[in-house]
Amino acid sequence: MTAVALPPFWSLVEAHGDELLAHARRLSGDQHAEDVVQDALLRALRAYPRLRHADHLRAWLYRVTTTAAIDAHRSRRRELPTDDVPAPAVHDTYDEGAFETLIAPLPDGAQAALRLRFVEDLDYEGIADRLGCSSVAARQRVSTAVRTLRERLAA
Amino acid sequence: MTPLPDSLLEAVASAAVREGLADALYTRLDTPVGRLVVVQGASGILRIGFPEEPEDALLAGVAAHAGPRLIASDRELAPTRDALEAYFEGEGDPHALPVDLSLVAAPFRRIVLETLHRDVGPGAVVTYGALALAAGRPRAYRAAATACARNPVPIVVPCHRVLPGSGGIGAYGGGPERKRSLLALEGVLLTAPRPRPTG
Repeated sequence: MTAVALPPFWSLVEAHGDELLAHARRLSGDQHAEDVVQDALLRALRAYPRLRHADHLRAWLYRVTTTAAIDAHRSRRRELPTDDVPAPAVHDTYDEGAFETLIAPLPDGAQAALRLRFVEDLDYEGIADRLGCSSVAARQRVSTAVRTLRERLAA
Repeated sequence: MTPLPDSLLEAVASAAVREGLADALYTRLDTPVGRLVVVQGASGILRIGFPEEPEDALLAGVAAHAGPRLIASDRELAPTRDALEAYFEGEGDPHALPVDLSLVAAPFRRIVLETLHRDVGPGAVVTYGALALAAGRPRAYRAAATACARNPVPIVVPCHRVLPGSGGIGAYGGGPERKRSLLALEGVLLTAPRPRPTG
């Protein structure tokens, strides 16, 4: 039993799984996207009963998927033959600090766009309102921020 | 967008079960009495729903009791699916499947359903009064009827085998036609229903 009434986990998977896979493809490419989503869903399951509220669960799943994608990139990079290979850091669960740590090195504008989308769970209309731009421009900013994240952290 | 591939979903489900992350599993099974939702916890089947019952409400009800980590998996519930499919093909009784009646809050209603599950096999029928007697409260036939009406695990806990002492097929949570179909499957043939209120 949990203190908050969380929806059955699989109803989130059935409602949002397709967009999470698309997000993972943008971050990790077709080849790795399914592995990333699988890892992300298991991390989310481990963390799920500890959530303190049931708000913005879709955005939460995006953050978990983003973190899983970046960790997968980093551990693949570590697997390249080098002289001193550190043991890959396996995040077996997801904590809320992970996403902020991940986006901290990005330019302020990119961080803001990612937070509006993946923390505040705003749609592009809502993001446009907050940024004072059109929704097309808002979509563009989020898309650019996701690309920046991929390039800066995973290249 | 395309949905997630089944292989990915089943891989997540298997890993979750191995790691003990699932509060309950569920599967959707097409049967001659419609598409059933079957929810199973660690100690047995918690819930079976007929198609008229909204699935999200059914699952939310189980989640409130068992925990929110509900996971759909045909593969992890293959033994349960096989047993139910065999039953609908006339090859046996799903009676052997473990049930978990912890969703039944009222103690006497739980005893009624346990008695029914244990004692009334396929081909047999019992009246509400006889069921109340077997459960230890001979005069509590109305409570026995309520227990059947609210049975969270129909088919496996065979409330379709409970009939009114006054004749007719009586009520059924899944509707009287389903009750008749299930009894016919078990070789119990009833005459045409007499319209009458039942309890």
